[in-house]
Amino acid sequence: MLLGIDVGGTHTDAVALAERGGCMETAASCKVPTDHDDLLGSVTAALRKVLEDVDPATVTRLNLSTTLSTNAIVEGKVEDVGVFVSAGPGIDPHHFMPCRHFFALDGYVDHRGNEIRALRPNQVEKAVNECREHGIRVFAAVGKFSTRHPRHEKLMRRAICACKDENACDLADFVTMGHELGGTLNFPRRVATAYFNCAVWRVYNDFAAAVERSLADIGLGHVHVNVLKADGGTMPLEQSKLMPVQSIFSGPAASVMGIVALCDIVHDSVILDIGGTTTDIAVFAAGAPLVEREGIDIGSHPTLVRALKVRSIGMGGDSAISVLGDEVRVGPNRLGPSACNGGERPTLTDALNMVGESSLGDVEASRRAMEAYGDAHSIPAETLAERAVEYASRTIHEQTRKLVEEINAKPVYTIHELLEGKQVVPRKVYLMGGPAESMRMPLFSRFKLSVEVPSDYSVANAIGAALTRTTWDLELFADTERNVMFIPSLSYRENIPSSYTLEDAKRDALNQLTMHLDNMGVSLDKGEAQITHASSFNMVKDFTMAGRNIRVQCQVRPGVTRKMGSV
Amino acid sequence: MLKADNSLGIIFFPAFDWAISPTHPEREERLLYTQDQLREEGLFDVEGIDEYKPLVAGVDDVERVHFCFPEVSSVATRSHMVSAGGAMRAADLVLSGEKERAFAMVRPPGHHAMKVVHGSRGFCNINIEAVMLEYIREKYGPKRVAIVDTDCHHGDGTQDVYWHDPDTLFISVHQDGRTLYPGTGFPNELGGPQARGRNLNIPLPPGTSDDGFLEVMEQVVMPILDDFNPDLIINSAGQDNHFTDPITNMNLSAQGYARMNAMLKPDIAVLEGGYAIQGALPYVNLGICMAMAGMDFSGIREPDFTPDAVRQDPRIVKYISEMCASFPELYFNPPPFDGSEKSRDGVISGGWFVRHKDIYYDVDGITEAQTEMVRQCNDCRGLLKIETRSTNNPLCLGVEIPQGACDTCRDEGYRLLEESQLKGGYRYIQFVNRRDNEHVRHGF
Repeated sequence: MLLGIDVGGTHTDAVALAERGGCMETAASCKVPTDHDDLLGSVTAALRKVLEDVDPATVTRLNLSTTLSTNAIVEGKVEDVGVFVSAGPGIDPHHFMPCRHFFALDGYVDHRGNEIRALRPNQVEKAVNECREHGIRVFAAVGKFSTRHPRHEKLMRRAICACKDENACDLADFVTMGHELGGTLNFPRRVATAYFNCAVWRVYNDFAAAVERSLADIGLGHVHVNVLKADGGTMPLEQSKLMPVQSIFSGPAASVMGIVALCDIVHDSVILDIGGTTTDIAVFAAGAPLVEREGIDIGSHPTLVRALKVRSIGMGGDSAISVLGDEVRVGPNRLGPSACNGGERPTLTDALNMVGESSLGDVEASRRAMEAYGDAHSIPAETLAERAVEYASRTIHEQTRKLVEEINAKPVYTIHELLEGKQVVPRKVYLMGGPAESMRMPLFSRFKLSVEVPSDYSVANAIGAALTRTTWDLELFADTERNVMFIPSLSYRENIPSSYTLEDAKRDALNQLTMHLDNMGVSLDKGEAQITHASSFNMVKDFTMAGRNIRVQCQVRPGVTRKMGSV
Repeated sequence: MLKADNSLGIIFFPAFDWAISPTHPEREERLLYTQDQLREEGLFDVEGIDEYKPLVAGVDDVERVHFCFPEVSSVATRSHMVSAGGAMRAADLVLSGEKERAFAMVRPPGHHAMKVVHGSRGFCNINIEAVMLEYIREKYGPKRVAIVDTDCHHGDGTQDVYWHDPDTLFISVHQDGRTLYPGTGFPNELGGPQARGRNLNIPLPPGTSDDGFLEVMEQVVMPILDDFNPDLIINSAGQDNHFTDPITNMNLSAQGYARMNAMLKPDIAVLEGGYAIQGALPYVNLGICMAMAGMDFSGIREPDFTPDAVRQDPRIVKYISEMCASFPELYFNPPPFDGSEKSRDGVISGGWFVRHKDIYYDVDGITEAQTEMVRQCNDCRGLLKIETRSTNNPLCLGVEIPQGACDTCRDEGYRLLEESQLKGGYRYIQFVNRRDNEHVRHGF
């Protein structure tokens, strides 16, 4: 039995899935309101409700998607962080200062990973002391090009917390080193990501410990717990305690993965999740969800947190209808619930009730509200409703087209890719969310593509959470001139011979990925780990070859462990 | 969040799958470290700076500029078409108003490619700035344009393409031709009879550094640009004046490049040469990007930089000061076209300007001999006719009716085409009518 919980903005959804005949089936599901001041309470309430129909002993895995880190950041419930950077020449690092206790230290590592200028020990010490005076207990240590050579970050870490054991220290509770966040080159993003990882560390770890305690109380102490990430994958709870920043914005990913579990997606497709206030648009290429090129923004800070490419637009079932001159508009604001649910201002849902696409709530109330609003603007209620539905489907269609165009405009760096490059051309639309069924025909006439509404879509997010597989990615850099191979996210460094080739690098990358997941208790099926980028450049000095510069990226791509059976 | 004062479009196309040969300086790795540096600095996250895909130039785009023999596809590979397409994309960004400025960081380069192309010279096959500029003029109408070439090598290709064009001011600042390829680019090369003073060469002595370059920009280039008052300024941003460049002898730093660019304020910059791919390009490219975006670039410094590395010899300081005093005259009062046999600038004969040229293609080992003729016309730039033969091709003919040509020149162009087809004697004929956008290829 697999459990999935998605803590959303309004509801916390939970499902229990059981295997039957090679496919998964919903054994129990529930929705409880989310209490933002007591997320743990919401999680346990949902769990208790699901366990009414399910024997806790049969549960093997629990996947949890939570807004905890996101909320902590949005509400400013974060801790002061000491941020140490070694930037060297370039753009002034103070432009990226995420917080007050920010120290730009003298040190310079170049793009090949050569140390051009060492850190100054007494400058580092002074910064550490200043933080201690302010009672700071969590630290981010980030160097420019630390993904090529992490020396400065390691030295900073040693200065911050003098002890050898990683777990216990009198002077600091937690240190994030930039290179552990992944091999992507982007110093400002690395600074921001390391900062947020530290800022939410304590509140997240308190939550994780509380979840573990209450699982034991309910009789789920034996269950393997994973936490959802924004890229549509999970990480084991133990891992998430070190990388809490990875748990932010996992909600949209849960819904997208739900569709993957419910439908057999093979083509380039568009996924539309039409909620109360927004519609989330996601794009699939050849059946696989697309991931943001670099990472998502937290507030105004771009980060390295990988996420599915999801565009949210202000168009949902509760989006208010307005009339501007001759034009009927819907959204982007929500001015309360739909009239059919006791609201005043007519909404998209009311318009859909009026044109007969749906019959949600009090249909008569929808009609009355539409008529009243139509009278006030001298438009017959029927026309108003038709044009509102038309406006909504047009907006969704336009925004989707724009997103696909953006994806296809992504820069490429080889002639081959430019001339033969694959373009995403959606062939199918999947719809989910409250008004999904009623928007099917209006959207079909816009997109002129097959539009499918999967069954079970109301808890698709929880199903997605339950079935999502553990993902991980890593980058490997090798420089045969300097005889080093380095995998930043694992802090793994090895000496290599001058004869080291791209094939060796690919093999090592996949092996390290598999081993790392194995250490986290995740075993991979063959073919789940894949190489996503591999290049080898000859480095030439004075017209003779001096070595090879090799870069390999590999990942376990987001996906579901099991498919849902046809219901 | 960091914001650029001037919005900047960057077309970054490193052509990671193309090289002249495995150990040639113009190879796959050339922009690799630049990419690393720009990404690590987070440049593309700066508000107002965006990255774009290049276009791919078509055969017509190339033929608008060049006579390629035997044909475009045999002298320009796909990488050249993409590189030129990158520059064209930069032009579209600026002229459509989407971005205030654009930098085409593309390879391979193009400023040694002349009007006639039989092969590759100085790592260049087609002139990407010229292809871009004529694309601009075709799409957005006639423009007065200044091209300032800051590559260390003389931009002899661009000079040749625009030799007769009074609407294109070409200024090349480079290491003295007596000490470096291609051995040309002297102050007396001033343009054709109708475009005197529209071609300016500023040869600098080996060892010139930041101060020398900036003095030349301030004292010579900027006043001339102010007077010419172009619609567009294009910078051929070669980066081989850098003090670490392996094939040149200048001492410019990344700071010097950025300050030069900040002074010039080009609308569009196009990458040319520059082969210190580790120690210079990442920093120079970053400097140029930041200068073009109007950002503070004072924090950029190369690993090898020391004040001594870029200190100028007092003799160079004196030489450059004297030069700066005498140069503006060449633009404001150019000596008239000589036209005598011994001037080697060509002669006027029977209403036509005629000059003979011998051209060597160092990369491909081709020797070309050509006769260039321009109809001396009072109503337009004049019909262009070039007869050329090389070790690769027998006698070929190129005829160009220029943009804005008069009726007489146009009719004469068609008469020439007809006559040469009837009479024979040319293996290939390429005919371009820029006025009515007609291209004719004959003999394939």
